[in-house]
Amino acid sequence: MNAKNLVYILKRLGLALLTVWVVITVTFFVMHAVPGGPFLSEKAISASAVKALEAKYGMDKPLFVQYLTYLKDVVTKLDFGPSLKQRGRMVIDVIADGMRTSAKLGVVAAVLALAVGVVLGAFAALRRNKLADKIIMVITTAFVSMPSFIMGALLLILFVIKLRLLPGNGAAEGGLVLPIITLSLYPMAYITRLTRSSMLDVLGQDYIRTARAKGVAKRKIIFGHAMKNSLIPVITYFGPMLAYIVTGSIVVEQIFAVPGIGRAFVSSIINRDYPMIMGTTIMLAILIVVMNLVSDVLYKVVDPRIKLD
Amino acid sequence: MKKVLAILLAVILVTVSFAACGKGGGASGGKTGTKTGVQADEINVCLASEPDTIDPALNSAVDGATLIAHLFSGLAKWHQTDDGSLELVADAATELTEGVVNPDGTVTYTYTLRDGLTWSDGQPLTAGDFIFAWNRAASPELAADYGYMFEVVDGYEDMQENGAESMNISAPDDKTITVTLITDVPYWNELLAFPAYFPVREDVVADEKWATEPDTYVSNGPYTLTAWTHNSVITLEKNENYYDADSILMPKINFYLSDDANNMLANFKNGDWQLIDDIPTNEIQTLKADYPDEFKVTGQIGTYYVCWNINEEILPSDSGLTGVEAEAAREEIRSAIGLLFDRNYIVDEVAQGGQVPASSFVAMGLTDADNSEFYKNAGHNADFDGYYDVSADALQSNYDSAIETLKKYYKYDDASQKFTNFPAVTYLYNTSEGHKAIAEYLQSALAAIGITMNLENQEWNTFLNTRKDGNFTVARNGWLADYNDPISFLDMWTSGSGNNDVQFGKGDNASLKHYNLDLTEYGFADVNVKDGTWAETYDVLISKIKTCTDQVLRYKLMHLAEDMLMQTGCLCPLYFYTDLYMIDDSVDGFFSNPLGFKYFMYTTVID
Repeated sequence: MNAKNLVYILKRLGLALLTVWVVITVTFFVMHAVPGGPFLSEKAISASAVKALEAKYGMDKPLFVQYLTYLKDVVTKLDFGPSLKQRGRMVIDVIADGMRTSAKLGVVAAVLALAVGVVLGAFAALRRNKLADKIIMVITTAFVSMPSFIMGALLLILFVIKLRLLPGNGAAEGGLVLPIITLSLYPMAYITRLTRSSMLDVLGQDYIRTARAKGVAKRKIIFGHAMKNSLIPVITYFGPMLAYIVTGSIVVEQIFAVPGIGRAFVSSIINRDYPMIMGTTIMLAILIVVMNLVSDVLYKVVDPRIKLD
Repeated sequence: MKKVLAILLAVILVTVSFAACGKGGGASGGKTGTKTGVQADEINVCLASEPDTIDPALNSAVDGATLIAHLFSGLAKWHQTDDGSLELVADAATELTEGVVNPDGTVTYTYTLRDGLTWSDGQPLTAGDFIFAWNRAASPELAADYGYMFEVVDGYEDMQENGAESMNISAPDDKTITVTLITDVPYWNELLAFPAYFPVREDVVADEKWATEPDTYVSNGPYTLTAWTHNSVITLEKNENYYDADSILMPKINFYLSDDANNMLANFKNGDWQLIDDIPTNEIQTLKADYPDEFKVTGQIGTYYVCWNINEEILPSDSGLTGVEAEAAREEIRSAIGLLFDRNYIVDEVAQGGQVPASSFVAMGLTDADNSEFYKNAGHNADFDGYYDVSADALQSNYDSAIETLKKYYKYDDASQKFTNFPAVTYLYNTSEGHKAIAEYLQSALAAIGITMNLENQEWNTFLNTRKDGNFTVARNGWLADYNDPISFLDMWTSGSGNNDVQFGKGDNASLKHYNLDLTEYGFADVNVKDGTWAETYDVLISKIKTCTDQVLRYKLMHLAEDMLMQTGCLCPLYFYTDLYMIDDSVDGFFSNPLGFKYFMYTTVID
């Protein structure tokens, strides 16, 4: 890694911080502008009780002061405050709990999608227009066009209710199997198709023909020369895939009752649990910004022709 | 080639769908395997998602209350007798004593705790723990949703307004509790069995996080909290230190946490969970047919209703009516519109959950002075229960009388049989398929007579805010009682109440001198208001009810209060709520109380 690259990465990190700050600021003020509040319920509590709660959580101060206090607590103490709805729990604990499960779900789904997708895609490319290729293409077309909530529901009915092979509850042993499969099928299918077309593209390139003409072994051509270059588009897809997995997990966690961050995120908004909304949003923003940076740097590693600037 | 691919694709999709949707389970509901006759040592249930809190004082949700009822033991508890009926019996107290009436009308109760009561960590439970817990739950500093459950206790007001340290409750010694009530209330024993009245220990709750982890959760009931995987499962195990541990049959209860009714159903169908408390609305009909013995409908003390904003104009612009006359006209109009809806259709075809058509606001399940149903005596009509006849036979006559009334104020076109100058109104409801279906029915019923009602849905929290602030004309509403007494449906409509969505006594209505209250025939010589405001009449009536010591009179006054409410036409009850749940037929000994708390301690499950 030379100095130029280092400067680039530092620049990107600075930009990432700026992005997160913008997210924090926009979310904070938009969230407070939305009608409703954390202490509203079907059975109203007395006005004095609301006052007591607002004072307890510092919500009686002007909004801008609240914003500055929040920013200061987050930056200097990593203090995301208490949950307003789950009394007694800290936002950071709720996020940590949820992230443990969500990270497992997301990472395994991503790895599964990549591993299976790349292998299937390469296989299909090498068997171009043969039966195996066609079957793979048909199945992946089906998966790419099916939204995760339908796929999840189908898998739930099939494996949980009909076959009774797997639990339908994310907390049970083996309970993450179905959510992982549901979450990975779409990116897996997408990567398969991506790898196949890019592999076909690469296999038609001059340098491959040259290698072949020089009598290089087929295996070496594919794994030594073609594979690496055909992965560049796949890496481009890394960022969007991560975004898909993060947003998709919100739906999938709901379907399979997985105790992840997605549910906390959604319910915090419904409840107007302000600190929880901020905490989960910041968490997801950081995740996406960082992963995009990682995928950009990876381009460079895979293809030295790409310049980082 | 493309054709072949398309066909192949179609075949795959169809196969997957069929495999998934086939009716394989059949009518039996399909249990896993055959029963071995062995009694299971745990039960798996799912009531809702992660509870907001399981601190007895802070909780205000039914699922939280169920957990707390297993973890704590108050002075009283709900008990199912051999014939299946429910009664309140002494729990931590040796007996539920009668109160002693003091010269000033207040009533003092004295309770003695059982011998040898301990907390789950082994420390002795004292009367002082109850006193501490009650003062904490009622304190303005804690700001608990259910703090007002203590408003019947003498000194509660003083605590709220003047910052008094304690209500009129005390522990003369470690085993005696005395409590003084403003007046005798028939539901006092029920309050003692309510989570807000359960004891907590001062050193335990000093840690604000105490109720979020098993390590710090100290309770005194039949179960202890042994594990809590947040958002996932809460595990309770039998507390051997509980004084009545021998009668607790279920060793372990797993409360799974899910907020998705479809997910709950999947786990119920495959036999993993034995009880689920939420059912997908669009599955109700199928489940009723497929699981006749396991699909349960029980009464719930609550009313689903439509509320009007009393300050919104609905008269035609050229009516020429103002002030009191205009309000009298609006009362007639709103009441007439309430007669246009076919509540049997709503219940049978739209809601489909075994609900009961409502003809009064105070819900079914609340009892009158003589223990009969309060709603049956409401409205003072000999031929039917409530304020209007909801039977199918009366549909036409209700409709005819409504049309006659509306004709007095609006232009009616005989040819099309429609009103032509009723101003368009907007019906506000919170986003949900069920509420939407009902809204659409109401809309079509009004459209049939030429009234345009637009529908607007809002997300839950926004909806609450809009409705509370009175920024609506007509809105969906619902109310569930906290205890078996009609006052819980009546005191919410006083002008200062935070639940007064209709805006009685607020805005323009605050100064409208339109209401009458004559209590002279009930022995209140000083209460005879003619042409008074809502605050001068209804608020006074409610305060009289709250301090009334004569039970028969008290119920008469409550009927009077409901008469006043219904007279305004602002409340249009549609149905009384029911509680729907599914319970596996391997479970024995389960019961739930009228508030929807579910009790698993006496259950057995045969595998």
